[in-house]
Amino acid sequence: MMNLSRNIERVPFRSIEKQLVASYCNSSPQTQTKQEEFRALNIRNVKDPFQTRRRLQKTAVFPPRADQMPVDQDWGSVWPGPRSFHPATVPLPVRQGFTEKGAPPPNKFNNAELMKIPNFLHLTPPVIKRQCEALKKFCTPWPKALDNEDKIQKNFPIEVISSDYCYSSPTIRDPMARIITVKFKLASLKLDDRARDKFLRLVGPRYNEENDTVTIVTDRCPLKKQNYDYAMYLVTALFHESKKVEPWEEMKSEADMEIYCWENNASKKNIEALFGCKSEEIPNAAEYSEAVSHYMNEGENDYTISKYGEAVKKLLKLQGTN
Amino acid sequence: MCATKVLFSRCFAVSKLNTPILSYIQQNSMSVYPNYYIEPIYRKETQQELVKTGEISKYSHIPTKATLNGQTCSDSYDPVIALFTNYVMRQGLKALAREQMDKCFENIKRLQLEKYHKCTTEEEKLKIELDPKKVFHEAINNSKPLLQLTGVKRGGVRYQVPMPITDRRSEFIAMNWLVDAGKEKDRKVRFAMQLARELVDASNNTGKVVKRKQDLHRQCEANKAFAHYRWS
Amino acid sequence: MFKTTADLLIKSHPLRVVQGRFFAAAVAEPKSEDRLQSFRTFEADPSKHNTNHQSQFYKVDSTDKKVLFQYGGLPKSFQIQAKTFNETCLMVRDPSIQIINHLKTIDYTQPPIKFVLYGKKGCGKTLTLAHIMHYAYKNDFLIVHVPWVGNWMRRCKDTSNSETKPGFIDLNIDAAAWLVHFKTQNANILENPELKTTIDIQWNKRECTPIGSSLLELIDQGINRIRFASNCVNYLAEEVKKLSQSGLCRTLLAIDGFNAFFYPNTRVFTEKKEMVPPSRVTLTEGFLNLTKFDWKNSVIVVTVDEIAIAEKDQISHYPRYLLGKSGFEHLDPFLPVEVKDYSEKEHQSIMDYYRERKWIHSYPGQNDELYFLSGGNPFRLMNLCNAL
Repeated sequence: MMNLSRNIERVPFRSIEKQLVASYCNSSPQTQTKQEEFRALNIRNVKDPFQTRRRLQKTAVFPPRADQMPVDQDWGSVWPGPRSFHPATVPLPVRQGFTEKGAPPPNKFNNAELMKIPNFLHLTPPVIKRQCEALKKFCTPWPKALDNEDKIQKNFPIEVISSDYCYSSPTIRDPMARIITVKFKLASLKLDDRARDKFLRLVGPRYNEENDTVTIVTDRCPLKKQNYDYAMYLVTALFHESKKVEPWEEMKSEADMEIYCWENNASKKNIEALFGCKSEEIPNAAEYSEAVSHYMNEGENDYTISKYGEAVKKLLKLQGTN
Repeated sequence: MCATKVLFSRCFAVSKLNTPILSYIQQNSMSVYPNYYIEPIYRKETQQELVKTGEISKYSHIPTKATLNGQTCSDSYDPVIALFTNYVMRQGLKALAREQMDKCFENIKRLQLEKYHKCTTEEEKLKIELDPKKVFHEAINNSKPLLQLTGVKRGGVRYQVPMPITDRRSEFIAMNWLVDAGKEKDRKVRFAMQLARELVDASNNTGKVVKRKQDLHRQCEANKAFAHYRWS
Repeated sequence: MFKTTADLLIKSHPLRVVQGRFFAAAVAEPKSEDRLQSFRTFEADPSKHNTNHQSQFYKVDSTDKKVLFQYGGLPKSFQIQAKTFNETCLMVRDPSIQIINHLKTIDYTQPPIKFVLYGKKGCGKTLTLAHIMHYAYKNDFLIVHVPWVGNWMRRCKDTSNSETKPGFIDLNIDAAAWLVHFKTQNANILENPELKTTIDIQWNKRECTPIGSSLLELIDQGINRIRFASNCVNYLAEEVKKLSQSGLCRTLLAIDGFNAFFYPNTRVFTEKKEMVPPSRVTLTEGFLNLTKFDWKNSVIVVTVDEIAIAEKDQISHYPRYLLGKSGFEHLDPFLPVEVKDYSEKEHQSIMDYYRERKWIHSYPGQNDELYFLSGGNPFRLMNLCNAL
């Protein structure tokens, strides 16, 4: 009987059934007293199998720190450096990620999407301001005479850009710090047309036509100083090399020209042969030459071609009809 | 017995289940459009009529199929010619078929204009139809058969029985005959040219196709005696 | 009284409608006649054409047509159309009037002026040239006309190595055909006994054309002895130049598809199947010689056309692209004349012409529809009208 009742207790019954069993047990106190008196022989010395299992005590999960943050706290010390997103530290109700239609995006907890993207929570405006303030004592004041862009351009034509990196890691060196960028306006070199052409051919894609700037980046050498020296060497070499005239440069033919120049083309010879005199003496030749070079350089379209036609009409003294 | 009954009832259940799906497939066949899409109304006249009667509001929110690229609101469009173009088409080469039809009409015009300029008197000139579309319609009308022959088996013998014919069917036969006649040609002659000649001939009630129609009529006349097999 | 007027009103109501219709028809009648007037001009002489005749059709006399265009000069599709319409009509268009006006006022003692007709495919360059040629024919010009240079460079009849110039290729059959063309076009002028050769031409050991023989003899020599046809064309070019220079004749040089002389790829092959550039074809030399500035009493009209070059290079229709650098330098300075697509007026005119020729049958809104579909391009319009 006892076995039976205990068995019942072991089986995970619903609470009502348990109660029923309990009431049944309680209703027969006589049998219970008998059981206490009667002790079963435990031959194999088996311990009591009905030990209650110890409940695993769960440690209490603290509420996220973000909930307890005061509104006027110093955010710069909560999030001092670059770090991937942490939901409990950021007191913002941010949401991110794809969902089915209609549902809101997942919240910040357990959200891998938020951890994947770079954040700039360490660069809030007050923090930046504070850092600038701290750096200010290392800066020198801006020279007062250099008050506009033209003066800067005139007195300091070369602009050298390099970067320094601050780290809390064991090494204070960063490989990116060696890179030197040198920028200057091509006009400041005061080259003549031929030298300018050669210079442009030498620098190739480093020249930006839109703002007339040459940009040279050096990163071959391990140290910043070496790279800087190399960049300066390059600028000097480019300057002198472009001024030099090699014997083979005289062999540049019409086909190598970048732009159509009427003066040294067949068109000029044609009209000189046609009129039998120098092109300067032909009336309306200037306009014609301009029209031809415009036609050749701008490319063909209805406008340039009609200009050309008009110029030819004037040159050949054709009467404009209709 | 019981087992068969159960089986039967199961089959019945299955077939009962399947009917709506089947009907859905049949209705829609292979079309990319669901069956509630309506045909486009691409003719200006029809649209204006709908606007006049006010029925246009009924159509405003019904999903509509896209127009086919042969269907146009231009006045040069003719549904009968569009149908004929489809009969000319082989292997789905619609562009080719349309090109052939255009060339055919061009040839009809050239043939007729040649005759027109050869004529000396005004009366003769007036007789010549220069509009290729009218020539085409006339040709179709002239080559439509009035009866057709259908095989009917009676007493183990197959009799060719003359039967009345619907207008649609007779139009179909006429068009098919014309296409066939266009293909019956020398290797060096182009289809468009031959078809143009046949159309001109048929519009004048002469030529291969009209003869074929008359042959059919003659055959029907000869088989008049079998006509009662149609109902007995 | 009142009753009667009311009755009258009621009675006349349907009548009025009928009358109205009748009236409308009566009004429409002279209108269509006006139109007939507006799209056709009876001024058949191109030298009298001016801007008043713009976008009107004039009829080319069949004898003129036979003389001028018997061996080419009109596009094939146009010829078919002319046959169907039972007449040859050309539209008086802006570029041809411009050039004809120039031709009237040019100082012929100066070196020749070069006109270059350019325009998109199928917009009527060849027919403009035909109009100008008709003018020249009526004004007794000596016409040196090449119907289509592409025929020589892209589908020549035969090739053979030149005997006189090593490395050059002769297109003798084409050259002889051209000589026949030249002879028919200028039959009247060539009868002039003053047109004589100025040098002795030694064809080979036995045959020679002595100095002072007529130009016709020189041409016949080329036609009869096909071996010499290519050289004959070059000699003829030189002779024409000299004769014009001396003022014996006035010359119109009309070359259609001139840019084919400068397109580097041709379909002329040597015996070893090597491609021959146009500069190595004997015929080229003669015509490039004619397009130089070193003569007078002449005028040069050439067309540049995309169709004269290979299909893969048909990118732009502008003359500098089509002529290339060398071609441009050869012609420069020239007067570019654009042949444009139809204007609305021209479109209206040609539609009326087609209707009058009973080529198309009108329906409401046809003009606008076709102008839109063709984009004003004459060739496309012609193709669209074929099926209507």
